[in-house]
Amino acid sequence: MPRQLISLTINGREREVAVEPHWTLLETVREALDLTGSKEGCGTGDCGACTMSVDGRIVTSCLMLAPQVNGRQVTTIEGLQSNGSLDPVQQAFIDTGGLQCGYCIPGMIVAARNLIDDNPSPTLDQIREGLAGNLCRCTGYTKIYEAVELAAERIRGGA
Amino acid sequence: MAQETKVRESTGTDANGHTAVGQRVTRLDGAAKVTGKTVYADDMKMPGMLHTSVLYAPHAHARIKSLDTAKARAVPGVHAVITAADLPDYNRKDSNRTGLIFPDKEVLFFGQPVAAVLSEDPHVAAEAVELIEAEFEPLPAVLDAVAAMEKDSPLVRDPLHDVDRSEERGHVSVETKETEQEGEPSNIASSAPFERGDVAAGFAEADIVIERTWRSAMVHQSYIEPHATIADYDISGELSVWTSTQAPFYIRDELAQAFGIPENRIRITATEVGGGFGGKIYLTELMVAALAIAVKRPVKYIMSRKDDMLAATPAPFAHIELKTGMKRDGTLTALQARLIYDSGAFPGAPMLPGCMLIGGYYRCDNIDIKGYEVLTNKVSVGALRAPGAHNATFAIESHMDIMAKELGLDPLEMRLKNAVAEGDLMPNGQTYPAIGLRECLEAIADSDVWRRRREVEATPNRGIGLAVGGWLGGLQPASAIVCLNPDGTLNVTVGSADITGTNTSFQQITAEVLNVPLDMVNVETGDTKTAPYAGMSAGSKTVYTVGRAVKAAAEDLKQQMFELAMKRLEVEPEDMEVANCQVQVKGAPDRAMTFKRFGKLSTNFGAPFPVIVGRGSIAARKTAPGFTAQAADVEVDPDTGDVTLHGYAIAQDAGFAINPLSVEGQMQGGASQGIGIALWEEMRYDEDGRLLNPNLLDYRLPTSRDLPPIETIIVEVPSEEGPFGARIVGEPSIVAGPAAIGNAIDSAVGARQHEVPITPERLLRSMGKL
Ligand code: FES
Ligand code: FES
Repeated sequence: MPRQLISLTINGREREVAVEPHWTLLETVREALDLTGSKEGCGTGDCGACTMSVDGRIVTSCLMLAPQVNGRQVTTIEGLQSNGSLDPVQQAFIDTGGLQCGYCIPGMIVAARNLIDDNPSPTLDQIREGLAGNLCRCTGYTKIYEAVELAAERIRGGA
Repeated sequence: MAQETKVRESTGTDANGHTAVGQRVTRLDGAAKVTGKTVYADDMKMPGMLHTSVLYAPHAHARIKSLDTAKARAVPGVHAVITAADLPDYNRKDSNRTGLIFPDKEVLFFGQPVAAVLSEDPHVAAEAVELIEAEFEPLPAVLDAVAAMEKDSPLVRDPLHDVDRSEERGHVSVETKETEQEGEPSNIASSAPFERGDVAAGFAEADIVIERTWRSAMVHQSYIEPHATIADYDISGELSVWTSTQAPFYIRDELAQAFGIPENRIRITATEVGGGFGGKIYLTELMVAALAIAVKRPVKYIMSRKDDMLAATPAPFAHIELKTGMKRDGTLTALQARLIYDSGAFPGAPMLPGCMLIGGYYRCDNIDIKGYEVLTNKVSVGALRAPGAHNATFAIESHMDIMAKELGLDPLEMRLKNAVAEGDLMPNGQTYPAIGLRECLEAIADSDVWRRRREVEATPNRGIGLAVGGWLGGLQPASAIVCLNPDGTLNVTVGSADITGTNTSFQQITAEVLNVPLDMVNVETGDTKTAPYAGMSAGSKTVYTVGRAVKAAAEDLKQQMFELAMKRLEVEPEDMEVANCQVQVKGAPDRAMTFKRFGKLSTNFGAPFPVIVGRGSIAARKTAPGFTAQAADVEVDPDTGDVTLHGYAIAQDAGFAINPLSVEGQMQGGASQGIGIALWEEMRYDEDGRLLNPNLLDYRLPTSRDLPPIETIIVEVPSEEGPFGARIVGEPSIVAGPAAIGNAIDSAVGARQHEVPITPERLLRSMGKL
């Protein structure tokens, strides 16, 4: 199949990639850009394991086609650390024990970071609503709620 | 937030002087997981690797008339199309799901793998698989397990022979007289009786007798990572498999048998498991290994979500008939039950643990329990966290509530009056060791959820429900190695797959025994060629058994250092201790040798000491059953039948919580799965046996919108054999949910729920509104 050249900014770096037009964003990032942090749990938009941020908005990247992100800014879990240190959201998930098998975690953390960016002081209900598209089968969510509350608090405190 | 641990403040040194165990420790692999660095099987690539797409049977029961693969083979980019006829020789076991790769004559369930296409491009493989021309002749499909037991039912399959039940034994140890299929051909794969006393006399003695039937749907483990396996076979006869499994050594032994390869030439690497819950023991590995042997190239098979829903090993539907008798004072006088577990097209349904639990929570002199494992033309079932337990518990714990209500007794007091304790009998006649069922009931009485009961129940359509649960646990020998490095740090190697944070618990155990800071200890799971043997990470036994081996290995290492130090410190080992990363004379800490010094003296050129390697190897003989009590606070919308969960509390006996942070995580995670089974989860089939909801939209899992924070109370009744008194932890938490929610709904709207999931439709029907 003929490939098509697209350019996108991935985790702050501009990249050109040759894609087949039917490739999903998830596939493109995992296979062509070799960033395997984002996971496929369903491929049908139902689990959130593939969550990325495109131009600051959350998407399920398994449903988006690669050509749709031409010229746009994409952030994956690999883009959250800065200067060699963890993002406060990442640190909070470790500290509260908000992870077990870890498969949902990259998508969950990208979604949580976005939630806090939009609303620096989310209530418990807002957290529960905001993460409803990200399934976690292991934790029962309790420690994930704690992680998001802790992260928001630390970010407000200037962490 | 409501989340709290009431039992023990775990910072610093606890009451027993522990410094490492009993502390809330974050996971060793936490940073890798939050950064996306952790490598799962789907993230791996091998040079020359081929991708697999599988053809799944489109009928629940059919004869295979022909399989024409010519068109599929002709697709550019297809490397091979493999059917039963193209497989390499293997020791085929038709009576086991994992003993049969592709059938050649007959398919037994909708979704059974029939053939595979291999290509360097996964899209090409997926396209080509559609071009396999398969002709089937449909046969009568047996779909209802209860009807399948009738004498005149059509048969699901040819009779079973030489069934291998080793996988089931990994989850639970039950001693019983189980009968395998015998005599006249029938769909009953096995049955088992559990009897004591005289039930007729027990019912005669009772003031009330309740008799009901309880049904629980087939549910899927729904780990977020579907099954994923890579295999490679090299010409010298070495087989390597990287796979998302809880059971690397078990797979090794099975593949060795299947292909006649010696166990020392097989390397199984348990890649990071993206959730297993009992469903990732051994499934795709045989097929992928056979494909790799056939084409002599690395082969990768990643199940799509749909593949996984169709053709993995979900948890069974169960139909349970229960009759109980009770005296006015709350004494249970008789319990009679018939438990029917739908095994699907191959044996493996967890009927035995269901029987053990239905008669195992409460003292009762007269019991008569019969369990049946029944075949149907549905996907064969496997383990899901405490396999078989929630089905049976839904029945008995709903009964307890009905009886309490009819007799005007407090449901908690009445349970406490009957609850088993150390020395009481299990249904198979064994006696319980020290257990914490009563302590869990006492702890849940103190939960926020239970304490607000009166107030909540005064609110229309709100109610609080209570239920207990438990799991007996598996047993298997285990081993571990601890090595001392030249810089004084320590490496622990185990063979158990770490899913829930068990390696972090091993770090704590080692640090505790050697009295060193946690960061002096690192822990690694090796593959089956490099790690010492460990059983499968199933049956809640990893910390309970491998943890004991780690403790023994650390103690062995300590003893070796003591003996080596005798000459230099001029005292006997009894007069030495470990502290501050050194071996020192008791009472004279300046007469000491540091771990670092031992490290150097045992590794440098010309050094005098042998290398210091601690070895731990244990047999596990005694189970340490884990119990739980849970309370749910629900609100029912009487018009729509929707249920809102306002609160949920779980108390569970962990024996001793080596890492309270991960124990709480296990409790909350299991509780959420129990809630899912209670309210939403169900694999639905049409009248031809086709799965109607093979995706995560129509198969509904609990979301954050559904689940409030779960209140967590750790109870600690020490076990006899477990490290520091720890007992099994992973599984009990899932068991009580369906009954707790059912009881809460009855308390809210006075409508008893006899079937889970309690869908709005079932709920409205029970209220007489449909
Ligand atoms: S993989 Fe994209 S939503 Fe599940
Ligand atoms: S940590 Fe396993 S799915 Fe969330």
